[in-house]
Amino acid sequence: MIEALHSGSFWYPLAFIIFALGAVVPAVLVVASRNIIHSALWLLASLASIAGLYLLLNAELLAALQILVYCGGIMLLFLFAIMLTPGVGDPDVRVHNQGLFWGLLAALALAAVSLHLLREEDWSVVPAANLRDVTGRLADALVGQYALAFEAASVILLVAMIGAIVIVRTEPRE
Amino acid sequence: MAVLAGYEYFFIPALPLLAFLFIAALATRRDDERIAPAFIITALLGSLALSGIALLRVTQAGPFTMTLAWLHVGQLALDLGVTLDYLSAVMMIVVCVVSLLVQIYSIGYMKGESGYGRYFAYMSLFSGSMLGLVISNNLAQTYIFWELVGICSYLLIGFWYRRPSAAAAAKKAFVVTRFGDLGFLAGILVISNLPATTFDFAGLAARVSTGHLPAASLTLISLLIFCGAVGKSAQFPLHIWLPDAMEGPTPVSALIHAATMVAAGVYLVARCYFLFTPESLLVVAIIGTITLFLAATMGVAENDIKRVMAYSTVSQLGYMMLALGVGGYAAGVFHLTTHAFFKALLFLTAGSVIHAVQTNNMWQMGGLRKHMPITALTCLVGALALAGVFPLSGFWSKDEILTAAYTSHLPGHTLFFAVAVAAAFLTAFYIFRLWFLTFAGAPRSEAAHHAHESPGVMTLPLLVLGALAVIAGGLLITVPGTGHGFGQLFETAAGAEGPAYGVMILSTVAALAGIALAYAAYGAKVVSPAAFNARLPFVYALFKNAWYLDRAWVWFATRVVLAGSALAAWFDRHVVDGMVNGVAWLCAVIGLRLRRAETGQLQTYAFVFIAGAILALGFIWVRNYSGYSNAVSAWLGYGGR
Amino acid sequence: MTPTPAIPPLEAYLIVSVLLFAIGLTAVLVRRNAIAVLMGVELMLNAANLNFVAFWRYGGAQRMEGQVFALVIITLAAAEAALALAIILSVYRRFRTVNVDQVDLMKG
Repeated sequence: MIEALHSGSFWYPLAFIIFALGAVVPAVLVVASRNIIHSALWLLASLASIAGLYLLLNAELLAALQILVYCGGIMLLFLFAIMLTPGVGDPDVRVHNQGLFWGLLAALALAAVSLHLLREEDWSVVPAANLRDVTGRLADALVGQYALAFEAASVILLVAMIGAIVIVRTEPRE
Repeated sequence: MAVLAGYEYFFIPALPLLAFLFIAALATRRDDERIAPAFIITALLGSLALSGIALLRVTQAGPFTMTLAWLHVGQLALDLGVTLDYLSAVMMIVVCVVSLLVQIYSIGYMKGESGYGRYFAYMSLFSGSMLGLVISNNLAQTYIFWELVGICSYLLIGFWYRRPSAAAAAKKAFVVTRFGDLGFLAGILVISNLPATTFDFAGLAARVSTGHLPAASLTLISLLIFCGAVGKSAQFPLHIWLPDAMEGPTPVSALIHAATMVAAGVYLVARCYFLFTPESLLVVAIIGTITLFLAATMGVAENDIKRVMAYSTVSQLGYMMLALGVGGYAAGVFHLTTHAFFKALLFLTAGSVIHAVQTNNMWQMGGLRKHMPITALTCLVGALALAGVFPLSGFWSKDEILTAAYTSHLPGHTLFFAVAVAAAFLTAFYIFRLWFLTFAGAPRSEAAHHAHESPGVMTLPLLVLGALAVIAGGLLITVPGTGHGFGQLFETAAGAEGPAYGVMILSTVAALAGIALAYAAYGAKVVSPAAFNARLPFVYALFKNAWYLDRAWVWFATRVVLAGSALAAWFDRHVVDGMVNGVAWLCAVIGLRLRRAETGQLQTYAFVFIAGAILALGFIWVRNYSGYSNAVSAWLGYGGR
Repeated sequence: MTPTPAIPPLEAYLIVSVLLFAIGLTAVLVRRNAIAVLMGVELMLNAANLNFVAFWRYGGAQRMEGQVFALVIITLAAAEAALALAIILSVYRRFRTVNVDQVDLMKG
């Protein structure tokens, strides 16, 4: 299907525009929503679109992992945390955004500068040498050259898990 | 006789200083005090022996110096050194002899006093410092010991510190001499600022003789150094501290304020004689003349036995300064030597009297020669020496001075001579007034009636000093161990004239006239002093109030000095402190403003991050992608990217 | 022979990345609920990830560093989210609120 998309000169850019808008627009809504569960769900939508972008970039494994880990795992965590804390339908939570002006200003400034720099630079793009078996090559890299990074990442996950448990644990009552 | 290659001479000042340490450590508590004199007397005997050896060495092998390098920083060189020549050797022997006799006397005088050990500790410190002063071979070391003797003077004048008058007198002595020392220090600083300079006396003398130093700077330096001498030797106008210094124990007055410390000023001028130009010598002579006359007039009206002698000391120091000023170097040093003996003698006899009668007031004494024959006799000897009666030592030394003044080439020398002769008359008058009031006539109080002679430990030094006062004139003929007379040892270009018989006769006449008048007024009661005072009340008041000079100084201190210090205090409080406080205020204000940044709010900090990131990106933008960089490169003159 | 595909230029992906980053930044700076702040952080991480993968693809797709890095970022984001949420729960227990303005013990 991707090849099909590739060969057409019409579908590929269209898919890009759909996924790009699908990433940016829900992101805006994440910031703008009054209801935090709505924010979480919009975030989910944005992350899913990003997975789509990965697909367009021929990073298939990454796209799959994005869905599984981010959309599936992390967003679930977020929803749990939202459930366990007030902020959902709590009438006392009035103020959602504070200092909108300055925050927006900073973000816009950053965006403006970055975009400008982006434009100025001429990116020398290298045509893709081999798009076959990306996943296989990624797997080779992970257990070969980057085995250390791989193992380290697993250790970090272990440590984070233990740490999270320790932080949240209440002292047992005597 | 260079036993230890010269190091042994360092022991001359070191022995009494060590005695000081031992006494301070071991002998100041009530039970141990009695052994204190043993230390100092042993030390002084040792120093005296070494001084004698030094004198012999100078005779045999010529002058000797030895320097130990101490502190060399850049151009500044401070060293410890000793110099042996006739001047230092003679001074050392005088200091050792007088100090030794005074310590022996003190054993009796200070017996039973609290602070007995402290007294001897201070006395040892003083003796060591004085010896160090005269043996120094460079100005900086001299200054150090100069200050040390000043401190000892302060400590000893204020020995009975619980007495307010004593504490005040000690303070006055210190402050007034400090005034003079300021000039001395300024002189040293001027010397240190000359190119390729040294503090060493021999080195300075060499530079002066080769004409390195222009006359104007020499005059300045010598006058500044003379300021120190004016303070220490109680010359006009800084003489006001010496009469008050009589608050201290009498042996202290004898040693420090008669024989040695006050002679340090004279010694300093003699030591630095090569620095003095004819102009500065004229100043020295003028000051000396004024001093000798004024002090003599003040001594005439005093009723306190010690204060009469204090004014006498001031006057005699004026004679010494006059001698140095008119070029009579040998005469000045000779008078220093003889004066040390007879003035110390006079003070010790006064102490003996005070010890017996428990008062200083001469009008409460009288007729003591029956009860205290030794004291009376030795005091008479001292008085005759002071008055300058032939053949006692004072006659010879005073005569040398008068001759030097008469034959000098200094402008105005005749006037100086006349004033000095007049003052000799007054000197004889006041000292015999003292003797007659104290020892002759009938006792005027109960205490005088029941007085008895002092114990042997006190009268022995009196006898020794009396003998010295008589025979010291012989030094003019020959100094034992050297084979020369005093004059030849200290011969300078301006000295060495033959004896002037006219001067001798004139001074003898003046002295005898003074004695006669004193006898008439106070001995035989033929002439009435009261009538004289009634006829000339103005003169009497002037003399009695010491020419109102004390009051003048107080006015100066309160009006001028305090006003100046008020200004300085204002400046310090508002400008200097203001600046310091201002810096603190600035820091506090900045801190207050900056504190706003620490909000504790996460998102504030995040905002600051991002602002920084934007700035960094902006920087890259400007540097790489705008025309700014090219413009800068073009301006700097080389190609951009 | 596959005709040359008209793929979007690299800048397109970079622009999307920048926009996502800016939006995520806004969420971090503006939202009061701590969990919402965290969502902004996740958005920023994803923007960076997108950047990496885009450069991998347009840099020749030969060396795998781009994807490996992106993968590790996902892993770390997961770990970080877990810990951050644990902390938020802990904070909630102490302060009874998750409003970032109210979690402030500093004076002045």
